[in-house]
Amino acid sequence: MLALKIKDITFKNPIMVASGTYGYGNEVSDFVDLSKFGAIITKSVTRNPREGNPPPRIFEVSSGMLNSIGLANLGVEKYIEEKIPYLNKIDTNIIINIAGTRIDDYVETLDMLESANSKHIGYEINISCPNVKEGGMQFGVSPDMTKELTQELRKRTDKILIMKLSPNVTSIEEIGLASQDGGADAVSAINTVMGMSVDIKTKKPRLSTIMGGLSGSCIKPVALANIHKLFKTLDIPIIGIGGISNCDDVIEFMLTGARFVELGTINYKYPNLVETLVDQLQSYLEEQSIDHIKNIVGDLMIENK
Amino acid sequence: MIYNEISKVIDNKEIAENIFEAHLSSDNLSKIAKPGQFINILPSSNFDKTMRRPMSLSYQDSNSFKIIYKPIGDGTRIMQSWKEGDSADIIGPLGNAWEVSKNKEAILLGGGVGIAPILNLYNNIKSNHISHLFFGARKKEEHFIDHNPDKNIYISTDDGSAGIKGNLFEAMKSIFDINDFKDKSIYVCGPPMMMEAVRKFSVEHDIECHLALETIMACGIGICQGCTVEKCSSESSTDTYRNKYELVCMDGPIYKANEVKTCLL
Repeated sequence: MLALKIKDITFKNPIMVASGTYGYGNEVSDFVDLSKFGAIITKSVTRNPREGNPPPRIFEVSSGMLNSIGLANLGVEKYIEEKIPYLNKIDTNIIINIAGTRIDDYVETLDMLESANSKHIGYEINISCPNVKEGGMQFGVSPDMTKELTQELRKRTDKILIMKLSPNVTSIEEIGLASQDGGADAVSAINTVMGMSVDIKTKKPRLSTIMGGLSGSCIKPVALANIHKLFKTLDIPIIGIGGISNCDDVIEFMLTGARFVELGTINYKYPNLVETLVDQLQSYLEEQSIDHIKNIVGDLMIENK
Repeated sequence: MIYNEISKVIDNKEIAENIFEAHLSSDNLSKIAKPGQFINILPSSNFDKTMRRPMSLSYQDSNSFKIIYKPIGDGTRIMQSWKEGDSADIIGPLGNAWEVSKNKEAILLGGGVGIAPILNLYNNIKSNHISHLFFGARKKEEHFIDHNPDKNIYISTDDGSAGIKGNLFEAMKSIFDINDFKDKSIYVCGPPMMMEAVRKFSVEHDIECHLALETIMACGIGICQGCTVEKCSSESSTDTYRNKYELVCMDGPIYKANEVKTCLL
């Protein structure tokens, strides 16, 4: 009832965990059954290691949080050496999120992962990190560059290729179309929304980088609006992200047009939520006598007036 | 091993003016936790904030633990309302632990609710280790330990209403001369400004000093990469990972004074 496909790859259910909110899986393995997950999307990996941004990097705001981590990660070589052996043991689909500055960064990182002894089934390409100048955002705001990058990566892999889109653009439809035209198998949306907070006592911004990415339930309506726009425009599947925190949210995203969803910031609070939501989604389908989860995707009732 | 367990409130009371101590049951984590480690708390099942609340253990035995808190934020105000039998969702034990120098006397400094991990350490080592406990607060009413210099227990108050007048750092310096520190190590947790003063003093005088740092955390288990502290690293490159910026939740929260650039996180 819950199994879905992208290309020829089957996902046990539509619930994935978003890049950067679930590390590399091993952090929670003591107390979470990762085999229940539709997929795990690992923390953005780059060609070289990155220290990331100076502290403070996070701040809690109303119904969400701001972050400016700056793609801190161990780099693809260490990723292959230290993280892949554990990821290979997890009985679920692994999708590797890649970030970069230039096309060559993405290409080299992907090539190294392609030749690694790894069972990952695809890539999510971060072209939408708002927190580093070189975080791929220059791709994510340009349809031409998005298409070029997608094409370059498409040439090099038969695995699933997902472009992760930013809401901080004039037209997300154009970026989505460029991804589709470039050969992407799916798009995921949205990455974080540009945000800011100020400490009025010290007059200092709460983050060292002044602005950062807003996530959590406060961005859910923004995510839904963007998914609605993409669903009207694209033929490839949409993976919905942005403030999902319960089963109703998952259904709301799917009705709007998301075929899959990613849980993000909520994982910090409830690391075990995926399993709960998978069970609740199953019960929902049974109660509503819906044969398969795919039947609710995009099943939005819009009255013509 | 990290556990995610549901703890039951055994007791929850005000132990000094606006300072509370909660005693909670634990199936597993209290058995294996080491002094200095912390837990990440969801104060209620419908807690509407985005992040759990990290808290150091102030006491632990085989099936329960205690925390000490001041109700000032959304999370701690819910904790204040905990009644016996209420549940809290806990992840832990997290982070590293105090590393005790066996051959040195211990000077333990706890400021305000920062006394929590200091008390846990003190109770763990006092029977076989010469220990000097200092507990600092603004005024007498915020204290829950008696000033008892004969037992090497000192309290300090900013207003002089009890114990030694002054902050913890001043209290420590009023008892020990600079030459006394050679065979001693300092363990400190409390307000960042006080910790920073102790850190600088220790580095300047080459005194062994261990700090329990506090900062904002979202996950507490090394995933979000939000809780960084800048290290005193010899190489300062951006092309490395966790060399310049370490994660307080898993690389810490305990650091040696000469390892970190600042306590003001």
